[in-house]
Amino acid sequence: MEALTNLLLGFSVALTPGNLFWCFVGVFLGTVVGILPGLGPAATIAMLLPLTFKMDHTAAIIMLAGIYYGSKYGGSTTSILLNVPGESASVVTCLDGYQMARQGRAGPALGISAIASFVAGTVGVIGLMLIAPPVARFALRFGPPEYFALMVLGLTMVVFLAGRSMIKGLLAMLVGLWLAGVGTDLFTAESRFTFGHMELLDGIDFVVVSIGIFAVAEVMVNMESRGGTELFKVPRGIRNLMPTLKDLKDCRFAFLNGSVIGFLIGVLPGAGSTIASFLSYGAEKAFSRYPEKFGTGVIEGVAAPEGANNSETGGALVPLLTLGIPGSNATAILLAALILWGIKPGPLLIQDHPALFWGLVSSMYVGNVMLLVLNLPLVPLFAQILRVPYFILYPGILGISVVGVYSVSNSLFDVWMLGLFGILGYAMRKLDFPAAPLVLGMVLGDGMERALRQSLMMSQGHLSVIVTRPLSATMICLALAILIMPLVNKVRSFRLKAVEQDV
Amino acid sequence: MKRSWYCLLLITSGLVLSGTGDFAHAAAFEPTKPIEAVVHTGPGGGSDIFARAIAELMQKEKTISQRMQVVNKSGGGSAVAMSYLAEKKGDTHTIGFFTGVWVTNPLTTAAAKVMISDLTPIVRLVLEPAVFAVKADSPYKTMKDFIETAKKNPNQLKQSGGSVTGRDNLVRLVIEKATGAKWVFVSFPSGGERIANLLGGHVDAMVIEPQEAGEHIKAGNMRVIAALTDKRLPSFPNVPTLKEQGIDVPVIPQARGVLAPPGVPKEVVQYWEGVFDRFAKSAGWRQYLEQNQFEDGYLKGPALNKFFDELAVQMREVLKEAGAKVVR
Repeated sequence: MEALTNLLLGFSVALTPGNLFWCFVGVFLGTVVGILPGLGPAATIAMLLPLTFKMDHTAAIIMLAGIYYGSKYGGSTTSILLNVPGESASVVTCLDGYQMARQGRAGPALGISAIASFVAGTVGVIGLMLIAPPVARFALRFGPPEYFALMVLGLTMVVFLAGRSMIKGLLAMLVGLWLAGVGTDLFTAESRFTFGHMELLDGIDFVVVSIGIFAVAEVMVNMESRGGTELFKVPRGIRNLMPTLKDLKDCRFAFLNGSVIGFLIGVLPGAGSTIASFLSYGAEKAFSRYPEKFGTGVIEGVAAPEGANNSETGGALVPLLTLGIPGSNATAILLAALILWGIKPGPLLIQDHPALFWGLVSSMYVGNVMLLVLNLPLVPLFAQILRVPYFILYPGILGISVVGVYSVSNSLFDVWMLGLFGILGYAMRKLDFPAAPLVLGMVLGDGMERALRQSLMMSQGHLSVIVTRPLSATMICLALAILIMPLVNKVRSFRLKAVEQDV
Repeated sequence: MKRSWYCLLLITSGLVLSGTGDFAHAAAFEPTKPIEAVVHTGPGGGSDIFARAIAELMQKEKTISQRMQVVNKSGGGSAVAMSYLAEKKGDTHTIGFFTGVWVTNPLTTAAAKVMISDLTPIVRLVLEPAVFAVKADSPYKTMKDFIETAKKNPNQLKQSGGSVTGRDNLVRLVIEKATGAKWVFVSFPSGGERIANLLGGHVDAMVIEPQEAGEHIKAGNMRVIAALTDKRLPSFPNVPTLKEQGIDVPVIPQARGVLAPPGVPKEVVQYWEGVFDRFAKSAGWRQYLEQNQFEDGYLKGPALNKFFDELAVQMREVLKEAGAKVVR
């Protein structure tokens, strides 16, 4: 009941014309930023910060938060259409989204991504509204051993991403883990694998690797088959550009899965939306009736991760607003904004500034509706991009990739790295190595190593700390189960075959 | 339209008039295009937020005639930003925002070739004070309790913090050396994780800024057991300093300030000194210091150079004793 009166207060704040306007500005900018690869929400919020000093604080936070969650909507666009991941959380979307586009189903893929984002984004806000304090307390129980177990669980997703050959999948993952090791060691401040290059001291940016391996490699492979390739089919008529009822029905579980996993991962300050998207993709495939089809253009493979990375934003605001703890760069700059305006973010924020908190929560409901209305009509428009002839499209993709990578840290060095990873991606394609496990290893490697070493520092070198704590033990067991599952299936099918032969 | 021209005219004439005092210098420097302000963190990092706040305050207080644009050159601790500034040798429209990391990072990182002495220091603006905090329900009521326990059970207590060359760890190292106590330092890259691990009971203590600690104390989650400063902090009048608790260690400063690329003309340095002289006295800046509970660390000229030299000597010693690989 209390939540309801609070929500009424919130909507009375969020629905004033001024706040509606700023909410729209935020989600619109967010969508644009999401579509442009490289430029992320954190950089955009930082750039717009000076404008907010003269604004009303509630209006300003509504706008800045709009940029944050709005960017997750746009992130899938270039993943689906061009195989260029717009944000790190949209890498998984490339797997099935781009395949759908190749089959002439770019429209439904974009549409379902918007719808999944809307559903899960809204669920995330409901979670933020109703269960923020208890969930935040639960998240505090995650210490380094728990994070390590979570990362191990994440790594087992390789089972679902490996494709035809598990060995090649594992090898690719190991390369990813190694790439994550490049940079400065946090614990000793020593440089690793930097070969004297100052630019490598902070490690290799994830965006550089994923755009190189996905987008640049894709262009190279396609250019090879000169003249032989046909344009992607883009069916005419709005109806063929939208997801069908059957698509929506197929995605029922994906919506739920994405919402729940995204929110829970979002609440953990040390995890992040990329992990959320990988985990929900894995869960979707694990429980699917046709797991073998994933990677060939299954619509659930788009809906689950896109849902997860939107629900994650609701989750990520939980520790920020209830404890004053930012979980990502984007939330850190939101926190900074609050401090610059003279509002003290912290455990007492909800109590001290109810209008701001509830206004923000309510505006997120409104913002998600706006995003759906904004994004769905854009679907047919974006789908037309695929009609562009290749001699324009491919240079275009390369251009977008270069600009995207350069804008991450304004460094030409990264552009050279992009070329290098493009060649690596091309070689992997030729030798039939899957790209996704490499990216998975790279995303998780850094956090996993850190969590393991932190755990060992805490336990004075005893590995038992990982299995003696109930939460981490549970996750490790789950990870083992996922690893053993394919082996069991193999044995069973082998026995079935043997039985058949006997008969 | 006409009106805005009129306003512009008024403002420019005002600027010219206010500048009359400087006419003694034959060729006083005045920026003619936006100023590039280089920081070593990404958007949302400590230095980035500090620089953006100053850019905003300067505009509000009309301390400079041009816009200040924050440029993020993150990477390599602070190495990327520092070498970027070194490459901008002689550039009159670029400044950089330094922190203590700009002194310590080149000491331990071979690839970081530019030292702070290669650049042109202008002013030090703030010293960020810090406090030593534990969880509210922790058994440690004073620093002595903590030290005693750490002595009895070496390496059992844990402290969360950032990089090993950062202030959090250096504070631990000097206290350990002075008292003979030993505890573990666990690095977390983001400030959020450091607090989360303390509140979750995974570590026992952390070094935190007073403004941040204040909110957690009000909510009943945290307790502060020592001020890591020379004098007690106004916001924590009941929290004694380390010295008062019988632990005589040097205060490790966390400084922030502004410098310019190497080889800039003297007039430019004088211009910036003048700007920051006025800025440091402005009401907006005083209010900013108070809000963030920063200590006014205003320092320039030879005194600033001396500060950097002494800091480098002190840091080198602390790091060496702790067994870190010191390359310079």
